This record gives sequence, C-alpha cells and structure tokens, in this order.
Amino acid sequence: MLAPAAGVILLSFFNWNLLSDGRFIGLANFARLFTDGRLLAVYGSTAYMAFAILAVNVTIGLLLAVLLETRMPRWLRGFFRLSFLFPFVVSSSAVALIWRFLLNKDLGLVNFWLGEWFDVGRIDWLGSSFWAPISVIIVSSWKTLGFSILVYIAGLQSIPNEIREAAIVDGTNAWQRFWRITLPLLSPTVFFLIVINTINAFQLFAEPRVLTTGGPGDASRTIVQYIYDTAFGSFDLGYASTIGITLLLVLIVLTAIQFRVSRRWTFYE
Amino acid sequence: MNRTTRTIAAAALTAALTATALASCAPSSGSDSGEKTLNVVFWDYGPAAQTGNQATADAFMAANPDVEVSLTPVAGENWGTYYANVATLIASGEKPDLMLISGEGAEFIHANNLALPINDYLESDPDAAALVDDIAPGLIDGFTVDGDIVTLTNAWNNMVVYYNTDVFAAAGLEAPSADWTWDDFKATAAALSKDTNGDGTTDQYGFTWASNEIFPGIMPWVANAGGNLTSDDRCEATVDTPEVTKALEFLKGLIDEGIAPAPMPMSDVFTRFQNGSIAMFGAGRWPIGTFVPAGFTSFDIQLYPSDETYKTVFGGSGYPILQSSPNPDLAWEYQKFTVSPEIQEQYVGTPEAPGDSIPSLRSVASTISEVGVPPVSSDLFYSSIDDHDTLVPYPAPAKYSEFESTVLRNLQLIFAGETTIADGLTTLQGELDPIVACS
Repeated sequence: MLAPAAGVILLSFFNWNLLSDGRFIGLANFARLFTDGRLLAVYGSTAYMAFAILAVNVTIGLLLAVLLETRMPRWLRGFFRLSFLFPFVVSSSAVALIWRFLLNKDLGLVNFWLGEWFDVGRIDWLGSSFWAPISVIIVSSWKTLGFSILVYIAGLQSIPNEIREAAIVDGTNAWQRFWRITLPLLSPTVFFLIVINTINAFQLFAEPRVLTTGGPGDASRTIVQYIYDTAFGSFDLGYASTIGITLLLVLIVLTAIQFRVSRRWTFYE
Repeated sequence: MNRTTRTIAAAALTAALTATALASCAPSSGSDSGEKTLNVVFWDYGPAAQTGNQATADAFMAANPDVEVSLTPVAGENWGTYYANVATLIASGEKPDLMLISGEGAEFIHANNLALPINDYLESDPDAAALVDDIAPGLIDGFTVDGDIVTLTNAWNNMVVYYNTDVFAAAGLEAPSADWTWDDFKATAAALSKDTNGDGTTDQYGFTWASNEIFPGIMPWVANAGGNLTSDDRCEATVDTPEVTKALEFLKGLIDEGIAPAPMPMSDVFTRFQNGSIAMFGAGRWPIGTFVPAGFTSFDIQLYPSDETYKTVFGGSGYPILQSSPNPDLAWEYQKFTVSPEIQEQYVGTPEAPGDSIPSLRSVASTISEVGVPPVSSDLFYSSIDDHDTLVPYPAPAKYSEFESTVLRNLQLIFAGETTIADGLTTLQGELDPIVACS
C-alpha cells in the first residue's frame, strides 16, 4: 500500500515522460507549483464544487433520511431507500453520459421542460463558467446522496428508542427532539460523513470529465483531472506526482482541522 | 528528509529503475525459444477493434504457419491516453514488435525514437513499389516525419460533411454540390434551422461540429480559410492568424445566429443527427459503422465547402515497426500484410455491416460503391485525397495530446462567448508556444 505512495514522492523529484530515462531535477517540480498559473484556479474550482457537494450530502442527506425514517409509511421505505441508493451503485461515467445528454443547452430535455413548465430561457448548463460547475455539483450530489442517506439511516436507527420515548413523556415536540436528542446523538455520523464526503469530493474525476471535460476553460476542472491530464496528456509524470502530493497535504490538513473542530460539537454516548 | 530516509529512497528508486532497465533488456520468450513470434499492440476501443485485429492476425498466421502473432489490447479513452498506456507498457519492459498508431501519433513516436523508419524496406522490397503506387501520396506524406516514413497507412478517414437526406427533402432543398462555398453552406444550414414545435425556440439545427476533437471540429474550416494551427515543421503554433480567426468567426456566427447549437461531443452529435435535430455535421467514415447497423441510412456525404481554398483534412492509422522489435523483418511483413488487398477488403465491409474507415489501397476503396455500402457518394472518400489538395503536414506536434486538449479548452471559452475570438486566440497562442516548440 505504501509502495505507490513512495513512488509518487520519488517521482516528484524527477522529470520523466514514461518513455525516456527519468532525470533527477531536485525541487524544480515543487518550485513550478508557484509559477503554475492554472493550479490555483483548478484548486479554486475543486474546492467550490467539493464543499458544495459536501454541503448537499450532509444537509439534504440528513433531511431525506429523517423524512424517510419518520414520515414515510413503512411499506414505502424500502422502495425509496433503493431509489436513492441506485445512482450510487451505477457507473459514474454512464451516469454522466446520460446527464450530459439531458443537460445539453439547445437540445437537452432539462431545458426543454424548464421552458415548457416555467418559461425559463435556455441555460448553458455545460458550456458556461457559471453553470458548468453547478451541473457537476448537481450530478455528483445526485449520485452520492444515496450513500449519505444510508449512513444517516444507520445512525438514526442506532439511537435508543427509550431516549425519544422519555422526551415525549416530558412533553417535547418533534422539533425539540430533533435538535436536542437526534442531532446531538447523530453528530458522530455527521462527522463521519463530513470526513468521507470531503475526501471523496476532492477526488472527483469521472463526472466533470464526461460532463464538461473540465471546461469551459478550467471552470469545472478538478485537481484529480489536472493531475491526470498532466501525467497522461502532457506525459509529465514528475510534475503530476508533485501536484498529487499537494492534494495529499490538502486532504491531511482538512481532515486534521475537521478532527480538531469536531471535539466541540461531536457527542458520543 | 534525514540521511537514512534519503538512503532508502535512493535505493528504492535505483532498484525500480534498474528493474525497468533490466526488464527492457531481457529478450522476449519468442526469441529465446527460436520461434517466430510477433507482438502487436492495438487500441482496444471496442469490439470492432478486437475483431478486426484478430482477423488480421489470424489471416497472417494462416499465410505464415510458422509465425505466432500475439495481440496486446491496450485501453484508452482516446488516442492520447492509448499512447500513454502503451508508453507505460514499454516502460514496464514489454517489447512489442508493432503498435497501432494514428497520424497524430507519428511525430510523437518519431520524437521519442520508438519507430523504425521503413524507408529502407520500401527501397529494397520488390513488392513495395506496387503497394505504394496504389496508395494516395497524401497518405504516405501524412506519416513522413523529417524524411522518415514511419509506417504505411492501413486505413484512414477524411473529413466530409454528412447531411440527413430526409431533413433536406422535408426542407425542399437539393443535395449540396461539391463546389459549394461558405456562403452557400451558411444559407443551406440556415434554411434547415427551424422551430418545429412552435414554442419560439429553434429545435432543429442546420449544422454542428464535435467539441471534443479538432480534426472533425474546427480543422476543415481552418484549412479552407488557408490556415493551420502549426507551422509546416510543427515547431511553432500559428493560431493567432487572420485565417484561424476567420474560421472561428464563421463558426461562432453560426451559433450566434441560431444555425448551430452549442458544440457537443461527437457521440452526442451522432444521436441528434439520426433523429433529425441536426441536419449536417462533419466527420470521417467512422459514423457509418454506427448508423448503418442501427438501420439509419437516410444520409449522404459531401466535401466541406471551400473558402480561400479547399484542402482535404484527413487522418490515418498504421502499424509502425518499433525499435524494440526483436524481429523487424518479420514485423515489416506484417505491416505490409495490413495493406494487402485481403485485409483491406475488411474496411470496405458489406451494405449491412460497413467498415468504419477507408481502405488505403485505391483499387480496394473503389469497390465500396460497387458493393453497395452506404452512402451513395462513397466514391467521394478516396477521390477527396486523390483529386484535391490535402492538409499536410497536419497539426500534430509531438505533444499532440496536450496540444489538442489545450486547443479544445480555449475553444470552449470562445464558443461559449466568455472571451472574444481575438483574446481567446492570443491566450491560446501563448499557451501553445511552449507545447509546440521543437527542442
């Protein structure tokens, strides 16, 4: 498991195009990080999409899980759980291909129905710098939401009924029970989902690649796409490895912050 | 990093590089045993690639019973990633004898000293002259780098305009003629663009082009405006020129005037063309391999319209002999076999299952219309390279994959109207300068 990681670190000190002999160049690849005009833009678009996907998963995932567990008739729960989980288990590329067809500006069904129902003009979902990352956020969230819901449901089912029953006896309403009992006891689950979804969202690849190819320009390009393009488009394995190391560091720092901050709001029984 | 860590890292790297070097020096099993073997690497883009390569290998083994051909399918979402994966294969110690490449890869494998030029074989092999005489000169030139002929072209595609004959008939339009101009083309495309359901927005467009490839995308327009994306020696980017500007202004104008939709990837174009929501698009012969088996035959082809000039934009494929081959003479026989009439006939196909590229041999290509393979104007495929100027050398520098992705990334901004054509091309020129430069 450590060998590939060690290989990446070693490669970052080399100039290697896969075909010629690698040439040791010291820290040149790391110095290049500071002059790479696209790197910051790509990190910006990655962070924007990643945090949006994280927010959708954590908040809407919780809302839907609670609704499924508390408001949905028992006989319908299985159907809806399966429906939400289905996108998660199908191929990302296949899903993105279908969405690309639906989101086409001039001939896509989404704009057609938006026009028919709401008289909305055609939105350039995949071609504009404003809408392209939003399309990636929508498609990626739609795909991953089922997993978050599943984890939330497991967390909800682990909360002892006695606590809720005691609160009902004490005269609390549903809203109070959610904020004072359910959410605090669910906080380890929320924390788990924040960590997992952050890491996954920062590694987004297939959806933007198929939907928008990262464009227009770099508006919806993710850092993993940039690493891939640098390695296998530009055949610059050394610099691609160096960018990979920055991603590793970013994820380590983000996760460390999350662990640190979580002490203030995570409650364990 | 402390001294111990540095030592371990250096040792690990040395071991890895040594292992790679040793592996690449090791003889293949075929040479060890004295058997005649050939290892052929091909791009495994789908079942058609597997079937076609297997058929060629089987036919070669039938004709040469003492030879064992092993095929190595290599995945890749496009030619660029395929090359990267082959490079990984070679770096891991594999020693293929031949590998399938496209014309865009000729400069790449030449610059990396991967291919064994075939000039000497062409001069010394008594069969070569007859073969070369039956191949359009442009197809030889397309695989020539600095005087080195990298490979014979086994199959190729030129860029032509596909038009939906049902949509043309419904609009009361005649089939376009070969001498049409950009103005004629625009008038035709405008007449085909309609609001068919009366909701106030266009839902049938006259034309579109692929957003994910430059050859069936902008290149025919750039070439016919008299421009190119690189200099003839492929050492300098030439995108901030009046010719390229003119081509992009024409295409952007089609979008702005509602004659073309926002550009989309080629696979999406196929579907829209078959259902009639796009009346014309540009591609090589490969769409026929999708259209006809799906039962769609209401289409024909025509040359791209001319402007300042007309140049046929084309791309080919071939099986160059690799420097790593332990059996270059046998590999040459295999390469020659891929352009033999027996194999070339595969690319003709049948009316029900047509080939998806054009045979390199003129004598075989001329049978496409005789066999009755759609479309009606199939003879246009070969005549376009025999009777017209061609875009040679085409813009395929050694770093083609990076070159194409850079062009496409900047074109997205131009066609989305997020930058002006002048500013977009200036930025693109700046980005391409270090990519196209020759060392």
